[in-house]
This record gives sequence, structure tokens and C-alpha cells, in this order.
Amino acid sequence: MMDEVRRLAGAAWAFRARVEREASTRFARLADAIPVFDPASPVPDLLRRAAGDEDRHALLCAELAAAYGSPAPASTMDVRIAPRSLGPRDAVLYEVVAACCITETESVATLATLLAEQVEPRVRTVLHEIARDEVVHGQMGWAHLAREAEMRDVSFLSAWVPSMLEGSVDEGILTSGQPAAEPDDLLLHGVLPRTRKREIFIRTLEEVVFPGLERHGVGAAPARAWLADRLAA
Amino acid sequence: MLFSKLFRLLVLGGAIVGSASGCAGPGQAQPAADKKADDRDGGASSDSRSAQTQDADGGTAQTQAADGGSAADGGGGGVLGW
Repeated sequence: MMDEVRRLAGAAWAFRARVEREASTRFARLADAIPVFDPASPVPDLLRRAAGDEDRHALLCAELAAAYGSPAPASTMDVRIAPRSLGPRDAVLYEVVAACCITETESVATLATLLAEQVEPRVRTVLHEIARDEVVHGQMGWAHLAREAEMRDVSFLSAWVPSMLEGSVDEGILTSGQPAAEPDDLLLHGVLPRTRKREIFIRTLEEVVFPGLERHGVGAAPARAWLADRLAA
Repeated sequence: MLFSKLFRLLVLGGAIVGSASGCAGPGQAQPAADKKADDRDGGASSDSRSAQTQDADGGTAQTQAADGGSAADGGGGGVLGW
């Protein structure tokens, strides 16, 4: 294996290990917050289960990263991403939408794309294991949004979706121009080329996330404008 | 095809999961008249509050934490994924 492929694959899996660990911490915190205002919700149980899943995923990703020579850092940050102006219930909704309706939904699309490609057997095993759980992690976000939209007006989120999107994407992936050359066989190791990643990100927004938000009364016009601006940059 | 399947699986499937234990009782549901003005902003329209905050930050207010994660600086952030 080329050193460059090994380095890039290792860095990608180490990054994923960190993302999974942070998701675990976030889900555990959100699971404790929801029953305060929605005691009948099934979502906290799903979040607690998801936190355990994410710990397991983090280990799988870290093992792969180590196999590629890139040990994943062990520390975890619990970054609260909701705007400070929001009250507790709105802050939970903001964070669930950002983490699950956007990021987990994008992750499911990425995993499904990777699983349709030819990848190394060891990588495929890990992708399968993770994909099985990530579907539920995406669903729990849409479940929480559906419940909240049933009980109250959630249209305030519309203006905040661009902020969620801004923080959910690698810098530069949406900008036009020729991407830097990448080794051809990176995909074998479970890493999408940037052009594919860009395409998946955009189509998931346009065909899943935006219509999903609109279905629950969260206008997607500001998010569509954000995407158009970023693509024109 | 993948994306329409994902919409059904995640968005529609999620809504079904959300209703699995029934909706919150009447005690949790807000009256329609209160929907636009809940406790987050002391009665101001939620949309106007969000817009003000965003304007103050010059648009979408989001900063990346030093470790590459996202952090709110009073605006709002997002979550990096795969």
C-alpha cells in the first residue's frame, strides 16, 4: 500500500473515531434532557442505546486507524452547539436536528455509498456494523423533530439551519474548482474521494434533509440559500 | 433511488418511531396561541429573535473549535460527521 494512501486512510478513520466518541457524549446528555419536557418520548431510550453504539463504533474506527498507522486521540469533548439565546427545550431541538437530522442522515448516505463500492474486507465489516446502527441514529432525530412539531411551532429553527450546515461540512468541500488529486485506491480503504463526498452531501441535503425539515414545518429556504451561496463561492 | 429510499427510511420511519409511544399528553402540548412565543425569548417572536442574533453575528454565526469540532460562540454550530 502506498504511504500516502495509508496516511490518508489512517487520518480519516482516526477522525471518525473522534466523531463517534463525541456523538456518544452528546447523545447521553440529550437523553437526560428530553424527559424534562416530553416524558412519554421514546427518543431518550434510543439516545442512550445510540450512545453505547457510538462507543463501540469509536473503538472499531480507532482499531482501523491504528491498523493504518494513525492512532486516534483518546480525549473527548462535549461541545454544546446550540445558540445561547435559545431556551433549554429549543436548544435540545437545535442540537438533535443538527446532530441527527443533518449529520447522522449524511452519515447514513455516506455509509450506503461506501458499501456499494469495492472495499477491503476488514473495512467492509466495520462499515456494515456501523451502518446498521446509524439508520436508527438518524431516525431518532426525525422522531424527536416530529414529536416537537406535533406539539408546538418549530419554525424558529429555519433561520438556524445554515449555522448547523456550516458546522457540518469540511471546509472547502463545497467550493468550486478542481480538487487536489487523491490516490485512486483510497476508496478501497473506506474513504470517499472529495468529489463523491461533495455530491453525496448536496444530494442528501436536497433530497432528504430539506424536504424532511419542510415536512415538519421548518422552512428550508434559508438552508437552500446557504447551499446556493456555498456552491457559487 | 438511494436518496428517496433514505427519505422514506429516515424521515418517514423516524416520524413513525416518534409516534410509537403516542404524543405527549395534553399537559405538554402548548396552546396554539402560545406556539410562537414560548419561554425562550420572553414573548418576542422566535423568528425575530433568531434573525437578530444572526444579524449581530453577520449572518450564520458559527466557529470551529480549535480541535476542528464546532462550537457555538453565541450563534450556533453544527456537528461534523463522516
